[in-house]
Order: sequence, then structure tokens, then C-alpha cells
Amino acid sequence: MLSIKNLHASIGDKPILRGINLEVKAGEVHAIMGPNGSGKSTLASVLAGNEKFTVTDGSVEFLGQNLMELSIEDRARLGLFLGFQYPVEIPGVTMANFMKMAVNEQRKYRGEEPLSAGQFLKLMKQKSAVVELDSKLTSRAVNEGFSGGEKKKNEIFQMAMLEPKLAILDETDSGLDIDALRVVATGVTKLHTEENATVVITHYQRLLDYIVPDFVHVLYKGQIIYSGDKTLALKLEKEGYDWLINDYKE
Amino acid sequence: MLFLEYLKSVGLESPRSGDEIVLADGSSATLLYNPSAATCGVAEQGEESLVVVYTHAESSSLSFDLLPYSKLRLVEVYLAGAKAQRKIRQQAGSVCDITSIVVADAEVNYAIDLNGHGASNLLRSAFIVGGEEHSKVDVRVNHNSSDCTSDSLVKGVAGGRAVGEFCGMVYVAPDAQRTDAKQTSRNVEIGADAKIITKPQLEIYADDVKCSHGATVGQLDGEAIFYMRQRGLSEKQARKVQIEGFVGEVVFSSDQLGEVLAEELIHKLESL
Amino acid sequence: MAEKDKDLIEKIDKEYEYGFTTDIETETIGRCLNEDVIRLISAKKEEPEWMLERRLKAFRHWQKMPLPTWAHLDIPEIDFQDIIYYAAPKQRKKLGSMDEVDPELKRTFDKLGIPLEEQMALAGVAVDAVMDSVSVKTTFRETLAEKGIIFCSISEAIREYPDLVKKYLGSVVPYTDNFYAALNAAVFSDGSFCYIPKGVRCPMELSTYFRINAEGTGQFERTLLVADEGSYVSYLEGCTAPQRDENQLHAAVVEIVVERDAEVKYSTVQNWYPGDKEGKGGIYNFVTKRGLCRQNAHLSWTQVETGSAITWKYPSCVLLGDNSVGEFYSVAMTNNFQQADTGTKMIHIGRNTRSRIVSKGISAGKSQNAYRGLVRVAKGADNARNYSQCDSLLIGDKCGAHTFPEIDSHNPTAVLEHEATTSKISEDQLFYCNQRGISTEDAVGLIVNGYAREVLSKLPMEFAVEAQKLLAISLEGSVG
Repeated sequence: MLSIKNLHASIGDKPILRGINLEVKAGEVHAIMGPNGSGKSTLASVLAGNEKFTVTDGSVEFLGQNLMELSIEDRARLGLFLGFQYPVEIPGVTMANFMKMAVNEQRKYRGEEPLSAGQFLKLMKQKSAVVELDSKLTSRAVNEGFSGGEKKKNEIFQMAMLEPKLAILDETDSGLDIDALRVVATGVTKLHTEENATVVITHYQRLLDYIVPDFVHVLYKGQIIYSGDKTLALKLEKEGYDWLINDYKE
Repeated sequence: MLFLEYLKSVGLESPRSGDEIVLADGSSATLLYNPSAATCGVAEQGEESLVVVYTHAESSSLSFDLLPYSKLRLVEVYLAGAKAQRKIRQQAGSVCDITSIVVADAEVNYAIDLNGHGASNLLRSAFIVGGEEHSKVDVRVNHNSSDCTSDSLVKGVAGGRAVGEFCGMVYVAPDAQRTDAKQTSRNVEIGADAKIITKPQLEIYADDVKCSHGATVGQLDGEAIFYMRQRGLSEKQARKVQIEGFVGEVVFSSDQLGEVLAEELIHKLESL
Repeated sequence: MAEKDKDLIEKIDKEYEYGFTTDIETETIGRCLNEDVIRLISAKKEEPEWMLERRLKAFRHWQKMPLPTWAHLDIPEIDFQDIIYYAAPKQRKKLGSMDEVDPELKRTFDKLGIPLEEQMALAGVAVDAVMDSVSVKTTFRETLAEKGIIFCSISEAIREYPDLVKKYLGSVVPYTDNFYAALNAAVFSDGSFCYIPKGVRCPMELSTYFRINAEGTGQFERTLLVADEGSYVSYLEGCTAPQRDENQLHAAVVEIVVERDAEVKYSTVQNWYPGDKEGKGGIYNFVTKRGLCRQNAHLSWTQVETGSAITWKYPSCVLLGDNSVGEFYSVAMTNNFQQADTGTKMIHIGRNTRSRIVSKGISAGKSQNAYRGLVRVAKGADNARNYSQCDSLLIGDKCGAHTFPEIDSHNPTAVLEHEATTSKISEDQLFYCNQRGISTEDAVGLIVNGYAREVLSKLPMEFAVEAQKLLAISLEGSVG
């Protein structure tokens, strides 16, 4: 589904990703871990097409298309979803309006008829149950005045609405208390099928108790320096990154 | 539905200039069509609702006297370049709520006198200018008595080579203690040659007051645009949604009129 | 004593002559203003012909200018013909010891915590009693000379460094700028000139050294400060000690040129005589201050204004070069019948220019205190940023606090923010302090200092402490 080959990217003159290689297939869950500043969030941003970063080398194929040639919105419409670490507030734009536009743009892209207001409201009601999102929030402005937990729930709610093929969740667990974490994580698990894939960027094992990864990768200085199965995350939680980084240095 | 279509839909075809018509949809608001001069009184404890619309350039001067504990809801829509003077005098306990939409080359001046104890004034205005237009919204609130509140929010969008201007003044007279006054000017420039001028001013002669004002000039939020595009909106849509959200705050209202006003603003945005 | 030292003492003596006490004998030109008076001023100062020409040109222009009336000030009519435009200070009577100093003045000095030696110098006690600071000064002067830094009176600069003066004088504030700037250009008495050569970091706060002798430069002061490429200087003007002057009208001009990559910090403490409790007397202080910033330059204005009956003053930054930065930090306090209309202008012309304004107004008594500001972004000033915070504190219900900002943006990439609040010292705060044993007067001082802290912290350290005390003293009698 997603094939990243030798991906290099920089911000200004500063290289951040220095040759990422990663294969993600349908039905898989990948976890990307690594110390602060290793390039995890940059990888997510670059895949989504954030123009702050410049891709300097390498290629990314997504569902048979050259991802780097697509605009931000076309990547999204094709089925790439980025769960933001810091969801953006958009004053004055209601969630309902925003989501209706997003859903119908995706449908248009696929050559489908737009949803009627009734169909849309029904869909929204159904999906907001996935993350126990207070239905009042959907009549408020996008992320405005939402608590940290509500913002993250809102990301997963939008994911449920858009049914992406590939969801990249950038530190979706950060800043959540135990209850909110459970809700968000089980939400993600419910949405997982054999047809889609999930890439979870996280610092902590605790999220991976819910979303069990098939693969765990360690990102360091812009490269994946080690990959393993779910037991790697447990080992990292216990022993930290030093043993890996030291290896890498030598 | 745009504003003029809305008028048709409620059975008001095209009134003659200066006509005064009661809106027929049960809202009981009176419609003034391109008025040039008028004085309106709101009786003690009375409640009035007035809609004023300009479809051609007009010089106009309206004054309003709100007697004690009366209420006035005033909605003004400038579809054409009027030059308007508004004098609003409020007595004790009266409440005045103004919504003002400017989508043309208009110059609109509100002089609000809070003369009676505990009067309150709420003003929401948005102007959107493009091309060679120059619009100016001037709001002066005089707190002449104690315990009055005022809250003015003026939002501006300037595109093309247009100039958008806001001039505000909150005046607090000596002895107008416990005044609560707020004035906010928020602006977005979207044309390379557009200009925004904003002057929010305070003149305060009493000490037990809560007065604040703020002014910003900025542009669209790049992060928010990225966020929306990530959810599949095109760049153009994302920009439009953001500006709609920006000016929408002024007309947010559950009634049909609010929706129509929002449409009017969006229509203007699309022409920029 | 070495010849050099003698020379120095003489020089310092001379600098002290301009002090504020009343016993100054002066040689004066009568009260009037015409071209002959200007010629006479220029001749007395032994100026070259080109300088006289400049003065005359400014005077002719000034005669055609109307008096500005836009400020929120009630200015009594000024008869510009009824002013003495030249007064050469003569040797002033030296006091034998601190005992001869006016006890009122001494009390203020003590409150401000000014070191005894400086008290003596300020009060005009014979200077050989202050040998310690003299020796310090010698070292400083040598250090400055080594670095190639020029610091002298503007009159001296006109004679000794005509090329620099010709190049820079009037380049930031032209005589056409405004009524008082034109008047100053025609009749300026004296002032300071400072030049920091390329790449030189001025090794000390010019404040510490010149705090005493930079005083008393007359009623039409002219300051020119040039920081050449990549240099740095921190300059302090004024003094926390009360400044008395017989001349009611002061119209100073300060010009600062901040060349590429240079940085200037300019701090002012203004404590001219504010008039008495009934509003009689006091200085009219009409100042034009402006700095020009080239590429990557940084100019920071900090001011603490507590004095003068009327203040009209807007230290400004012209951000001409790309990436240049302008800052303005101000505390303006008015009490009794004082009036102040002060603020700043930030003119963004270069790309990526940034500015920041923090203004704290404090009004007490029957005073009127206004902030007036302009932030302008020119068409080519891409990515300009400004943040302004203007707060007013009211003490008592007979004073006024006003805010007149203007934002004028001609570029769609600008991000400009202005916020203002108005507050008073609450009964609750006072009660809380009283309950903890703090007198109301001290509590007000405490609260006011807390309110002004963001600005005071920008002052050179030792001065910040005095400025704090100054605020408390200026507030005396405003509560209770």
C-alpha cells in the first residue's frame, strides 16, 4: 500500500529525514518510536505533503501512485489521513460544516454523489459514537475551545468519517489521561480492518497495549535504525533507546 | 439565498426608496429601504426590530432614541456605497443590538450615547471590500452614565486594491463608574495591494472601569489551511472556509436573517 | 598632578556648570527669536559656516509651520519671541559641603539611594571631593578612546568631526519633520554626539559613566548617536534625581543611526520639574526621538517618564533594512496636573522586520495620560510583525487614561496585534497589603512597580532599582 524508498527531507537547509525505507501493507499496524527530534513527526508531515518541508531525495508510492506528485488534498482524498499531534483551531467554522465539505470532496474525487444533509447527519451521529464524542462538539467551531482530550477524540472521529486507507497517527496518545487514552485507542482499533493500514507514532508502550503493532520501528537521526515485532516496544519501554543508539554509533 | 432574494421570498418585491414595510414572515421587523433620514423612538419597555438596506448610494442620517428599558435590534445591510450617520441615544436600562454588514464602498458611522444608568450596547459589524473600494466603519461609544456596558466587534477583509478602515472610540465620562467596555477590530488582508487601517481608541476619565480593546491585522492561518487540505478540502475551499469562519462570527445567529446575511458575505467573498 | 589630570578636572568642572540649581550666572541674549539671534548662537559656538546655513534654513522653514494641535494636551499659548534662546553658563558657585545642599533635595537623593559621591556632584558640591569617580572616569575615557569611540558634545563634534556630523545630522529627523524639530534645528543649544566604529562593542553602559555630566545640556538639546556596522552600545539619558530648570520650554531632538548588524539600546529617565500640586510651573517637554535601522539592525527604546508638566514624545523606529528589529518599552506616570501624550511609531519598510511595543501608563491626581502609537507596514515590507501591549492604570477618579493607537497595513503578509487594558488599583489589593502591615502608600508603590516591571527590567540594572523608587516618590500624595 505504502512504499517509502530512501526518503530524504529537510526544513530550510537542515536535513531531517536521511534515507527512510518503509513498506506498509494492507491490514498491518506499524509503530514508529524514537527519541525526541529523531524525525517522527517530520515523516508524518512529509507524507501528508506539508509544504514546510522539502523532499530532497527518494520516492514514496501510495496505492500505486507517486505520492510526492499529489497535492495535500489529493493525498487526503486518495485515503491518506494524518492525525495531528496538535490539531489546529479554525475559529468560526463549525465541525459539521467542515466535515460535510471534507466527506463530499472525497466522494466527488471517487466519482460518487454528495451526501444529502440527512444522510450526512446520520453518518455523523453514527461515527461520533465510535469515540464517544459529545455530539454538542460537532456544532462548535473546529477544535476551538476543545480540551486536549476532545481534540484527539475529534481527530479519530474525523478518521472514522473519512475511512482512510492509511492512517498516520502522530502522537495521538500525548496529553491524554487514562480514560481518554482508552477511548481513543479502542476507537482506532475498531476502525482497523484487513483493507486499511495504520501507522502509529508514539513515545509510549501504553498505547500499544490497545493497538497491537505488527511491526515496531525505531527512528533515530532521520533513519530507521532498527525494526522488530511488538516485543521491541516492551524492551524499549524497559531499557530506553541507549542500547540501540550506542550500537548505531559504533 | 442573498438578501434581496430573501426579501422577495418574504413577499417584499422591490420597495420604493424610503419605504417602510413590516416584514411579513412573522418576525415583525420593520424594513427601511434606502432611507435618507429618519428618527425612530422606542417607547419605554418597548421592543423594536428594524432592518435597513441600501441598494444604491445614498447619504443618510438616522437617529434612534431608546427610552428606559426599551430594546432595539437593528440590522443594516450596505449593498451599495452609502454614506451613513447613525445616532443612537440610550436611556437607563435600554438594550441595543446592532448588526451591520458592509459589502460595498460605504462609509458608516455609529455614534452611540449611553446616557442612562445600566444601558447596554452590542455591535457586530463586518466589512468586505475588493477592487478599488474603500469602506470605513466608525464606531464611537460614549459612556455618559454609570454601569453601562458596550461591546463592539468589527471584522474586516480587504482584497484587490481596496482600503478597509475602522475607527473606534470608547469614551468614559467622569463619574461613569463601573463601565464595562470592549472594542475589538480584527482584519485580514488578502490582496497584495489591499490596505487596512485601524484605530481603536480609548478615552477614559473614570477609574472604576473595565475597558479593553484589541486590534489585529493578519492573514489566513497557514497551519489551518494545511489541516483542512489534509482532510481533503482544496486550497481555495480551505481559504474560503477560513474567511467565512472569520466574518461568520458577526452574523452567527440561528434565525433565517442571520443565514441570509452570511450568504451575502460569502457571495461578496467569492467576488474578490 | 599630571597635566592631563588637571585638564580633566577642568573639563569635568565645566560639565557640571550646566547643573540645575538656581545660582547660575549666565550670559544671555535677550528674549527674542530672529535670524540675528541664530547667527549669534552659531558665532558663540564658533560653528563653521555650513552649520549656520543649516540653522537658518531650518529657521526659515519653522516660521512657515503651524503649531501642532493634534495631541491630547492642553498647552497654554507659548510666545516663542518671549524665550531666551542662548544662555552661556558661567562658572557656578561651588558648595563647600553636603551641609549646604537644600535639605528637600537631599531628602529626595536619600530616598532614591543615590551614592553620596554622586549626590555631591549632582548638587554641585566641589568636585575634588569626588576623586574616586574621577579616577574611574579616566579609565573609562581611555578605554573608549582605545576602541575609537567618539563621545563628546555636539558642539565639539561639529568642529572636530564635521564629516560625520554632515553625513548624519538631520538624516533621521530632518528639520522639516515637525514644528519643534524645526525649532530645535534652528536654535539647538548643545547635546551629545556618540559614534561607535564598525564592529566595536562599547565596553560599558555609557550610562554608568555619563550619568552625571550628561545633564544640563540646555533646553534645546540635540543628540546624535551613530552605531556603525556591527557595533553595539547601551546609552542612558537622564537621571532619576529631580531636574529643575528655569526654562519652561524644552524641545530636544535625538537621532540614532543604527547601521547594518548594529544594536543600540537607548534608555531614558525623565524627571524634569512637573510643577507644583496646583499645577503651577513645570517644564514643557516636546521631544522628537527617532532611530533609523539598516539591515539586521536592532534598536530598543526604554523610557521612564515621571517628570514635566507636559510631555509630548514619541521615540520611533524606522525599520528600513531587512530583518531589522525595533522595540519600545515605556512607563509614563502622571500625577497632580501633569499631562503626557507619549508613545511610539514603528515604520516597517524592510522585509521580515519585527517590532514590539510595551507601554504602561499610570495616571494619578488630576493628570491626563495618553498613549499614542502608529504601526505602519509599507507595501514592500513582507512578513512584518508587530505586537503592542498598552496598559493603563488609574489611581483616583479625577484623572484620565487614553489610548490612541493606529495600525496602517499595506502588505497582506503582515501580522499585527494590539491589545490594551485599563485597570485600577483595587480596594482588595490595598486591603490585602494593609492587612499584612504594609501602608497604603507603600502598597501603591508596590503594585505600581509590579505593574511596570516588564519595562523596568529593560533598564540597566542599577538604574532599574532607582527607577522603582522614583515611581514611588512621584506617586506621593496620590492616595489616602
